[in-house]
Amino acid sequence: MATDTYDVIIVGSGAGGGMSAYHLTRSGLRVLMLEAGRDYDPTTETPMFNTNAEAPLRGVGTPDKPFGFYDATVDGGWEVPNEPYTVAPGSEPFIWWRPRMLGGRTNHWGRIALRFGPLDFKPYSRDGLGYDWPITYDDVAPWYDKTEKLIGVSGAAAARNLLNTPDSPPGCLMPSAPPRAFEIFYERAFRKMGIPVIPMHGAVVTGQMEGRNTCLFATPCGRGCAIGANFQSTTVLLPPAMATGNLAIRTDALVYQVDMNKAGRATGVSFVDRKTGEHHSVAAKSVVLAAGSGETARILLNSKTAAFPDGLCNTHGMVGRYLMDSVGTGVTGQFPSMEGLPPTNDDGQGTQHTYVPWWGYEKQKALGFARGYHIEIGGGRHMPSMGMAGLLDKGDVSVGDDLRAKLRDRFGSMIGFDGRGEMIPNDDCYCEIDPVAKDKWGIPVLRFHWKWGEHETNQAAHAVKTFLEVIDKLGGKPQGKVETEGHRAISKGGEMIHEIGTARMGHNDKDSVVDQYGKSWAVPNLFIMDGATMVSSPDKNPTLSILALAWRSADNLANLAKQGAL
Amino acid sequence: MSDQAPTPPETGPYVSKVDRRTALAWIGVVGAATAVGAGVVVYGPKTGGDKITRGYGTDPKLTKPEKAPWSRIMTDGQLQTAAILADFILPATATAPSATQLGIPDFLDEWVSAPYPDQIKDRGAIMNGLNALSVHVLKADAGARTAALTALQTSKDEATHKFFRRFRSLTVGAYYTTEAGFKDIGYIGNVPRASDPGPSAEVKAAIESELAKLGL
Repeated sequence: MATDTYDVIIVGSGAGGGMSAYHLTRSGLRVLMLEAGRDYDPTTETPMFNTNAEAPLRGVGTPDKPFGFYDATVDGGWEVPNEPYTVAPGSEPFIWWRPRMLGGRTNHWGRIALRFGPLDFKPYSRDGLGYDWPITYDDVAPWYDKTEKLIGVSGAAAARNLLNTPDSPPGCLMPSAPPRAFEIFYERAFRKMGIPVIPMHGAVVTGQMEGRNTCLFATPCGRGCAIGANFQSTTVLLPPAMATGNLAIRTDALVYQVDMNKAGRATGVSFVDRKTGEHHSVAAKSVVLAAGSGETARILLNSKTAAFPDGLCNTHGMVGRYLMDSVGTGVTGQFPSMEGLPPTNDDGQGTQHTYVPWWGYEKQKALGFARGYHIEIGGGRHMPSMGMAGLLDKGDVSVGDDLRAKLRDRFGSMIGFDGRGEMIPNDDCYCEIDPVAKDKWGIPVLRFHWKWGEHETNQAAHAVKTFLEVIDKLGGKPQGKVETEGHRAISKGGEMIHEIGTARMGHNDKDSVVDQYGKSWAVPNLFIMDGATMVSSPDKNPTLSILALAWRSADNLANLAKQGAL
Repeated sequence: MSDQAPTPPETGPYVSKVDRRTALAWIGVVGAATAVGAGVVVYGPKTGGDKITRGYGTDPKLTKPEKAPWSRIMTDGQLQTAAILADFILPATATAPSATQLGIPDFLDEWVSAPYPDQIKDRGAIMNGLNALSVHVLKADAGARTAALTALQTSKDEATHKFFRRFRSLTVGAYYTTEAGFKDIGYIGNVPRASDPGPSAEVKAAIESELAKLGL
């Protein structure tokens, strides 16, 4: 392999790496993709239609499989064997979800594919907080169009022109499946409150799409999809990239360093083979890091040269800074009105069919927090799990026919409301190299620092208040202990698995690590094409934007290559 | 484990419904096993051997899951007591099988034997509860047995109450995750469809009627 010459090495195979490989190989560049995890084939490995009764412990989550036995996460979760990370003393909790498989987190992700809006790219201009991106919504819009058409996104609807909630142009989206029983039900409460409920944008093929299978409207997307009816890098991006003949993939290759020459250019990368423990170096004309915001920062920080004693591109100490996640909080209600409905099939299209976009842009000052959240709402008669007894009242002790009748009545009567909100970057949230801890192969690991700001905790408190109001309007009862105080209601740092922003883009080499195309200011042939380049963390889930920005950046890289600039 | 309910409901001792292949794999761990028919295995007393305490690992095969690898720890007395209590909670009906017909006691054994934190947390309460209950149900006549089971529901003793609630929760979860459970509770999904037409007119009408009552 060392004797091969590649135009580009891409580190990572998820949303950023997969899209980069898709475009660069189709542009005629020879690409080597290095993935830290094992090879993974969704067509043969996806447990579609398996019941929980077939799985150990009825499929419940365990430390080996934290999101449940069937979750499409290999060798990972909140802990990865042999690959620790640390959280600094005094920090608020931070947890880091990593898989070790081809396609990365695109195999199990929630498939929610919302565009960032115009305000999301200029948050500082809007309210003086955070930072503006060097680009506008209009710069990215054509790439959103292309990305939606390529990966397959549902949610087509007549244009609504809601503030900062972009409608996709006609032809980009497929229609969603109709609202399910619980979605018809909850919509009426929001309507009464003057809050819009609109079709979710989900990365699921719900209609006819050339070259793709249509959703079977059954079996959870989180297991992956054997027929490729939702978006996974492994089913949508990597096969066409491989078909060009320009892509080589090496799995179990844990990259830990960008190799540099004396002229200050990247010559390739070094990695350790996770299976053999052997170290290798491979060469290419340029390097793309798309290992995920945490791992990308770790590689940069562990790549030290005389010119970059604190890590590559880190002369100003910005690598690892501006780490963000989404604000998460949720309340579940039980609704007597939904009891005893005739059986109906609520399996749906994998994502929610409808959702609530943030509605408070124009009264943000009065609300006491600067940025908003959207609401993801789950419910219905899903495949029973070990939690079925949770349908019963706390003091219930029934058995026999009485027990059966209560469960039958209440099946499908729970609805969960989850806020997913914007976080403003702050100086207390960042990652750095731990001065002591190392992984199994002796490579220094990340140490995280985390502290939510008041804008985030106030937002979480507002979300809980909203959910309680909606539950009350619908005649429901909140379930479990409801935290109304923001610090208690808010998720842990990293828990939403939207960690982004450790090598942000900007206008110049003083305010950022990379330019608007992910090209690093410090090293002319080093590019970053994952969520690390993001400048703000809008409430909209980041994957669609990672894909669109990676495509835009890869196109720029391909043009530079054509011009001989690499 | 098969989801098909054998008939008629059992009246004798509970017979494990783990498959023969799994049972043979456990020999030397759990004890000598005798295959007495398709899918039915009766365990002999434990004969020692190395216990397997590992989990299924971070990369188990998902499409055809292998049986949980860890050794089972329930004694026959505990398993028989679990069977009696599970069928008190979910006895057979005219249309649905009993908990034991679905092999729920074997699942409970799998659960309390598992090497993971949540299951280990359940282990003490479930095993102690079964031990305490066994005295009152294993060799009792029908009347005394029913009295002991019914007393669990209203017990003021915190440990007893906790045991009953948790045991019932596990039994309910295990039961309704089977195909027979799907049928009993009215879960009609997990089937491929060409499209999702949304809820029927009947369902929509029922929701509208409820919304009207709420003033929505």
